[in-house]
Amino acid sequence: MEVTFDHVSKNYGDVVAVHDLNLKIAEGSLHFLLGPSGCGKTTTLRMLAGLETTSAGRILFGDKDVTALPAAERGIGMVFQNYALWPHMTVAKNIEYGLSLKRLSAVVREQRLKEALELTQLTRFASRLPGQLSGGQQQRVALARALAIRPTVLLLDEPLSNLDAQLRLEMRDNISRIHRQTKITTVYVTHDQKEALSMGTEVSVLRAGRLIQSAPPRQLYHHPATPFIARFIGETNLVNATYRGEEQGLLLFECGFGHLRAKRQAAALSLGQAVTLSFRPETIEVSVDGAAQNSVNPLRVFLEHLTYLGESEQLALRTADQQVLRANIFNPPEHDLSEGVAIACNVDPEHILVLPVELDQGAGT
Amino acid sequence: MTQGTTTIPQQTTKRQRSRSLPTLVGYVMLALTLVALLLFLVLPVGMILYKAFRVQDHFTLEYFRLLFANDLQITAIQNSLWIGVATTLLCTLLSLPLAVINARYNFPGKKLLAGLLLTPMVMPPFVGAIGFQRFFARRGSINLLLLDSGIISTPIEWLQGDRVFWAVVLLEVLHLYPIVYLNLTAALANIDPSLEEMATTLGAPRWRQFKDIVWPLARSGYFAGAIIVFIWALTDLGTPLLVGFKETMPVRIFNMITDVNENPVGYALVCLVILITSGIYALAKITTRGKSYDMMSRGHVSSAVKTISALRAAPFYGLLTLTIFAALTPHLSVLITSISSKWFMTVLPEHYTLDYYRQILNTDLPLIGIKNSLLFSGSSMLIDLVVGVFIAYVVVRKLVPFAGLLDALTMVPLALPGIVLAFGYVTTYTNTVLDPFTNPTALLIIAYAVRRLPYMVRSAAAGLAQTSVSLEEAAATFGASRLHTMRTITVPLVSANLIAGCLLCFAYAMLDVSDSLILAMKDQYYPLTKAIYALFLEHGSGEFVASALGVVGMALLTVCIMGASLMLGKKMGELFRSG
Repeated sequence: MEVTFDHVSKNYGDVVAVHDLNLKIAEGSLHFLLGPSGCGKTTTLRMLAGLETTSAGRILFGDKDVTALPAAERGIGMVFQNYALWPHMTVAKNIEYGLSLKRLSAVVREQRLKEALELTQLTRFASRLPGQLSGGQQQRVALARALAIRPTVLLLDEPLSNLDAQLRLEMRDNISRIHRQTKITTVYVTHDQKEALSMGTEVSVLRAGRLIQSAPPRQLYHHPATPFIARFIGETNLVNATYRGEEQGLLLFECGFGHLRAKRQAAALSLGQAVTLSFRPETIEVSVDGAAQNSVNPLRVFLEHLTYLGESEQLALRTADQQVLRANIFNPPEHDLSEGVAIACNVDPEHILVLPVELDQGAGT
Repeated sequence: MTQGTTTIPQQTTKRQRSRSLPTLVGYVMLALTLVALLLFLVLPVGMILYKAFRVQDHFTLEYFRLLFANDLQITAIQNSLWIGVATTLLCTLLSLPLAVINARYNFPGKKLLAGLLLTPMVMPPFVGAIGFQRFFARRGSINLLLLDSGIISTPIEWLQGDRVFWAVVLLEVLHLYPIVYLNLTAALANIDPSLEEMATTLGAPRWRQFKDIVWPLARSGYFAGAIIVFIWALTDLGTPLLVGFKETMPVRIFNMITDVNENPVGYALVCLVILITSGIYALAKITTRGKSYDMMSRGHVSSAVKTISALRAAPFYGLLTLTIFAALTPHLSVLITSISSKWFMTVLPEHYTLDYYRQILNTDLPLIGIKNSLLFSGSSMLIDLVVGVFIAYVVVRKLVPFAGLLDALTMVPLALPGIVLAFGYVTTYTNTVLDPFTNPTALLIIAYAVRRLPYMVRSAAAGLAQTSVSLEEAAATFGASRLHTMRTITVPLVSANLIAGCLLCFAYAMLDVSDSLILAMKDQYYPLTKAIYALFLEHGSGEFVASALGVVGMALLTVCIMGASLMLGKKMGELFRSG
């Protein structure tokens, strides 16, 4: 089922929780709503579920306007952050509850229960109470319960946030597998960008109630629309700079520690325009032998700090104007760099993104 | 510590000694507590059970045969059971909407109204009954009002025949509904809203959500309160005594106390009360066994409490104010009675006076009552404080293997009727040093202390449970002993709970009815409530002075309870549950 938000807003009194949201969620996709806490992602999901009313705008399932439709008639399955398992019902009863409300025949109910239990590998636990299950198992019961009613849209509200790191990884695979098997249009709310990148077919990033960018994970990572997204999705170096015109087919920028050149961008720039340049830590090429390279974007920096992680090495580099840049070296060669030495680096103009200046860069990570 | 108890060998280091001494103190205290509970809780009950089945030196069921052969006794038993049932049902009907409103809605003025809803609980029905009688007497205000407005032509006998039953039930309901209300509110508020939201998304209508999800989860909380209400209504002595409903178990027991040695049927009747209360308690335990569920972690966004405007809350205001007004009517009538002069054949008094308050200060009995009550209640409060904190600490921190048993034992008085305990004391301690017929002071203090101990333990335990053990362990790493840690770290942290517990213990002891009426047998040892009762029985202005004294008592109590409520907040409800 394709889901459409058409100019949807939500206010609580004077507080704007969601502002003029326009978004199409493709049928069969695993669509992520990603953002820091308080960005409006859960409110969006709850409006989709019919648990919150909209202040303005329409929500469509396919061509059907469901804005005024009660939750029960939308055909959604929901997994709450805390699972919301009924503690007095067994796993089987929890799953069957929704089926019994749909007045399905006993045979069909039995069949659906069996399917849901198998899909989530819970068959052994059918007669247990939720309190007798581990966190991961509880999470699967919540999933099974939502899936058993064969929802047209599956809604997941931070489903993994209550699990420990190891279990979270397992459950990611689990949910991805179930999504592949069922092909149910799924809307997944999270604040964990790794979850979104690794699982999502499309990711919508929200901030302070506004949708900032909606794109597949790779595009989001490589072509973030704003410095906020560049920083929220993965790690990056952000440098304030001024546009100084073109030079040898590249864009020339002046920043606090010299000049940087970037590949031509789609957006037009005017001379003297302030921008934010973004380049990922892994795009900084560090010459560990200290030899200066003949490059387009030479960086003269001091090695401030070095963190050795085996398969990689993280460097904190201090520029002439006291900015700190982060660089990552993968498969680091043996070297004798020590903290405080001057080293030569280079950034390929290919990898420098020119982004608009964001007024409150520091806020909201 | 005296030298006699130190058995530590000479070579023990100073550090070790400083640790084992307090440990020893702890165990001595624990032993003393257990002995006290055995002597003043287990033994008296045991004595009643023993005497109820004993003639000379062999087992008998004769007293029970006599009991059940007597129609008057049967009627009394039936009446009391019906009072219990009717009160519990009506309390439930009244409390359910109140609890739903409190747990689910927010509106201007809610805090104040929710607080006022609790006031009836602290107003002794015993005192209210005095004023209630004035209003509902043959020539009381209600009849006169109805006569004046032409609705009736002859006065209705409100307090005769069947109607006296309903008068008692009404007074009990107006006094006890807050207990059900508090427990239900807590149970409802404890249910994660997402549990119902989930059912909503699956298409469950509201009534099914209530039946399938809310009720099963709130059930044990409800029963915890309902049982207390049932047992208290069943065994309340003050109300039926003052309203004049003699055919009830508590009143019959009260009348039997003086000649219990000649008429052992009294033992059988008290024994029956014990059996009924423990039977009900056991039944409730069995039906709710394994039905208590820990709520899973809560969602972070959704809140069950809906904020609505004053206008939309209009029906709520109506219901709440009506309830509060009805519940306070008996006490208002006491207040009016206490300041009325020449109140005869008019709806409200013609003239008002403060004479009766002056009389309190000029006559012996009221002053003795106040003085004795302050002394008894104050002493019992101190005992509760020390013992209660100690027990709570041992139980919450699970310091001894039988902590659960100790906890259960301390909680028994909540379900154990005051008349039973008082009766047991008379049975056990007549002709001993503690003989209540000579001087009941010690027994009264002990009775007050034992019966209010649960409040103290619960208050302290609630605070301790929220105080992380690591705070104590941190102190222990510096070499502080357990007792020292308790004094310097733990007690200061839970002081709000302790003050609240003290206020409750004190207030409830001040207005204790059953123990006071039964144990205090001589004028000079009368506590406040018995003085009120004695004055009430006096002819002439006795009723008015009794009212004035009752108002003084209520004022004292109100201050205490409000203080406790401020200290405890929402946790207040946890004090009034049976398990």
